[in-house]
Amino acid sequence: MLTKRELMAGSAAFGGLSLLGASSQAQTVDLLKMFVPAAPGGGWDQTARSLEAALRATKLVNGVQITNVPGAGGAVGLPQFLNQWKGQGNALMVAGMVMVGSLLANKSPLSLTQVTPIARLTGEAEALCVPQGSPFKTAMDFAQALKADPAKVPVAGGSAGGTDHILLGMIAKAMGVAPSKVSYVAFSGGGPATAALLGSQVAAGISGYGEFGEQIKAGKLRVLAVSSDKRIEGIDAPTLKEQGIDVELFNWRGVFAPPGVNDAQRNAMTAMIEKLAASKEWAEVCKRQEWTQITLTGPDYGKFIAEETTRIGGILKELGLA
Amino acid sequence: MHAFEQLLHGFAVALTPVNLMWCLVGTTLGTAIGVLPGLGPALTIALLLPITFKVEPTAAFILFAGIYYGAMYGGSTTSILLNTPGESATIVTALEGNKMARSGRAGAALATSAIGSFVAGTIGTLGITFLAPIVVDWALKFGPADYFALMLLAFVTVTAVLGSSAVRGMAALFFGIWLGLIGVDLQTGQARFTFGVPELLDGINVIIVAVGLFAVGETLYVASRYKSGTDEIIPLKGSLWMTREEWARSWKPWLRGTALGFPIGAMPAGGAEIPTFLSYFLEKKLSTKPEEFGRGAIEGVAGPEAANNASAAGVLVPMLTLGLPTSATAAIMLSAFQSYGINPGPLLFESQAQLVWGLIASLFIGNVMLLVLNLPMIGLWVKMLRIPAPLLYAGILVFATIGTYGITQSPVDLVLLYLIGGLGYLMRRYDFPTAPVIIGMILGPLAEQNFRQAMTISAGDWTVFFTRPISATILVLALLALAGPKLLGFWQSFRMPAEPMGGDA
Amino acid sequence: MTAPQVIEPVSQPESQAASPRSGLAVGEFCIALGALALAAVILWQTFEIPVSPLYAKVGPTVMPLFTAFGMGLLGALLMVSALRGGWQTDDEKETTPDKVALVWVAAGLILNVLLISQTGFALASIVLFVCTARGFGSRAIVRDALIGLAFALVAYFGFAKTLGINIGAGIIENLLERVFFGSTPN
Repeated sequence: MLTKRELMAGSAAFGGLSLLGASSQAQTVDLLKMFVPAAPGGGWDQTARSLEAALRATKLVNGVQITNVPGAGGAVGLPQFLNQWKGQGNALMVAGMVMVGSLLANKSPLSLTQVTPIARLTGEAEALCVPQGSPFKTAMDFAQALKADPAKVPVAGGSAGGTDHILLGMIAKAMGVAPSKVSYVAFSGGGPATAALLGSQVAAGISGYGEFGEQIKAGKLRVLAVSSDKRIEGIDAPTLKEQGIDVELFNWRGVFAPPGVNDAQRNAMTAMIEKLAASKEWAEVCKRQEWTQITLTGPDYGKFIAEETTRIGGILKELGLA
Repeated sequence: MHAFEQLLHGFAVALTPVNLMWCLVGTTLGTAIGVLPGLGPALTIALLLPITFKVEPTAAFILFAGIYYGAMYGGSTTSILLNTPGESATIVTALEGNKMARSGRAGAALATSAIGSFVAGTIGTLGITFLAPIVVDWALKFGPADYFALMLLAFVTVTAVLGSSAVRGMAALFFGIWLGLIGVDLQTGQARFTFGVPELLDGINVIIVAVGLFAVGETLYVASRYKSGTDEIIPLKGSLWMTREEWARSWKPWLRGTALGFPIGAMPAGGAEIPTFLSYFLEKKLSTKPEEFGRGAIEGVAGPEAANNASAAGVLVPMLTLGLPTSATAAIMLSAFQSYGINPGPLLFESQAQLVWGLIASLFIGNVMLLVLNLPMIGLWVKMLRIPAPLLYAGILVFATIGTYGITQSPVDLVLLYLIGGLGYLMRRYDFPTAPVIIGMILGPLAEQNFRQAMTISAGDWTVFFTRPISATILVLALLALAGPKLLGFWQSFRMPAEPMGGDA
Repeated sequence: MTAPQVIEPVSQPESQAASPRSGLAVGEFCIALGALALAAVILWQTFEIPVSPLYAKVGPTVMPLFTAFGMGLLGALLMVSALRGGWQTDDEKETTPDKVALVWVAAGLILNVLLISQTGFALASIVLFVCTARGFGSRAIVRDALIGLAFALVAYFGFAKTLGINIGAGIIENLLERVFFGSTPN
């Protein structure tokens, strides 16, 4: 039920905020309009709302208006952003890796390369976890069992074709197992997947580290590995690479301007986000939300998007999804 | 007792004037949004999340808890009065509740719903206070195979709403199952029956179907026969309040509904709808007047209403004890915890004792507040039924539109609502029951997903449904529920051949 | 379990009883045909679902196939029943639906869909309200329009001011917003 489309909502904020006028002089960023192609409460929405708070605190913008258009991992929202928001210099869309995957999986004719890349902001490492009593002690134990018979190692995670599924496919591929052979059990969200793991219904679980973090601290789950390129401060777990599984995956999130903005507008937006990314306010937000800051702007970001689209597309094909 | 002491501290927190004010705001707002189909507590809390930047955590959570409980109350009111369920958990309430309202017993239906909700909410909150760790251990034992068995048990409920023909009832059920299949398949990510419409990828909202079939369909039907003057609403017959007989027929369903709702709500994949189905079925089977079901039986309101409020309390169990969000509302509340830098998890009760117990205490207070707010309103609500038909039905349609379009702003949803309304008219005219559509739509996809999860986990071994003790037990229960009365009748006729008993007791 | 003849409780005196149940019942026939057509569409669309290599032990088409066959079987049973005279209750058979009323309400719904994204929420609601009330025999167009307007505005500003949701502003909303709040919503 967590994925049900709930709404399209305009600006939030209890009382008052919606009274903000529309005196939008694009250059001074009096009013920043943010487009979130997901329901309130999810990762992109939290990113947008955290951005709002940090941008106000650093006085980079005066007002922010958030529009949510949820549905199908962003596949419903993107066309609207492409068509109706075209050329708006004071608008930003929050999106990320999940959208790359869902556009491919839903066979959408659209792609994230059609919007104007501004900046990659954060990444969340995925974690591979097992119940406390599991026989797997290391990620390699798990991977060997997967290699021996993938059918005997059911792994829980979010919906099929999402980040969790993609990581499992990558691990299988690295171990020489066909990704289409893995026993992936999709749940409607991190909560139900964690519940299945806590009840030892499955052999292992993959999700964003945040979903498992508190269970690990309480000793109910053990983390075998994280999917980042290097160890993460505060998480007592090796990376998959350290364990000899050559896989690296970040669930990254970033911001995009609509298509058709001019260079000046793009540069102004990029400069604003760069300033924000360097601020201590934003660092605090990331620390609290347990996001890793992986800022990347300009042409490099555009190149990164193109590469990710190819990489994710490849693994989705092998999973039989694209 | 430890928990009791902590709870007293919680009351000390919740009973400050400021927090009482937040509780009042929350319950009022919750009732208002519960009334609107489409706008649920999850969404409202999500929209109010920025408030976490402005007020202290205890106040925010008291507000959210009020919204959460209040929405259930509001949803029932429109189900009963207007046949327009505001929340998916109150769809079943409309079945008997609206029939009662049309025959002059709206006051009694609203009262049994409000008092039943209060009873269930209070018992449920007591359950959170004293039983949470036990219940959650038990709930985690349920795996997909067990959930599948539970869905099958819930499917038996459809026999209670088949109407005059099994064929037509089953056709409605299968239509509902198909509606439920529309969208992206969770297990494989493939789009099914979306016909290239991206808005359908996330599936059709069950509320749109319920409001379409019940409210829009009903309006079209009444319009088609309004001149012949056959379908008249009787605003009030007899006492405004519940009679002695209605009390006697209500209290047991309240308790049984609570007993179903709380544990199922606490299960990670339980939800609030299944206990309402089960409660409806159970009450019809246990009723001394089963023939009243479908015409306005008060048990059919009392039981499901208690069940949905108890399940609302149950949902908070895994959230507070493990930090697990098992419903959309719980997920949003958890993200509110996070924006305060609190990480909800198994240690929450210890690390944030004041906040958690303040929240639990405010659930008790919110419940009392909702009862006090709602009972005096009944007289006013019943007066609504005196509104002349042209204005009442025009109002219902505008209202259904506000709920549907106002939230999503999607013309696709609106077109769906009206098309399903047209279908509802035809179904009514050709004597198809509409409730099976809803049951199929909610249970079909759940049963399918749990079945496939179970099969993946068992590596394709079919016997898993019979070898797991929980699953096997529930399957036996389902069989008994389906064939039990006949078996019982057979056994009794065998024992007392002179006095054969009828089939359905 | 199947009872195509379906004996309904007849409350009417014998003389008024509907024609005997035999021969084709047109309405029921169309409905049975619709059910069969739906089964065919489900079947057809099921084969359109790409089935990935079977890492899920039970694929995405199993439930749809079950649904298609169930629907097909029930459609066939409905057809048998329709050919034997149908199942509509006598009460329904004898009542001719008030087509004028239905057209008014349907027109209200259709106009509402067409207007709502063009001219805004309030105007569309007024049209829906007036048309529906007209379908139920009301002739007081001005009164109905005013009630519809009031209803829509309460909802609109309730949403906009309490929750900050913009539920489809149009001509009327923007005008009032400017008058009362001194700014235009976006």
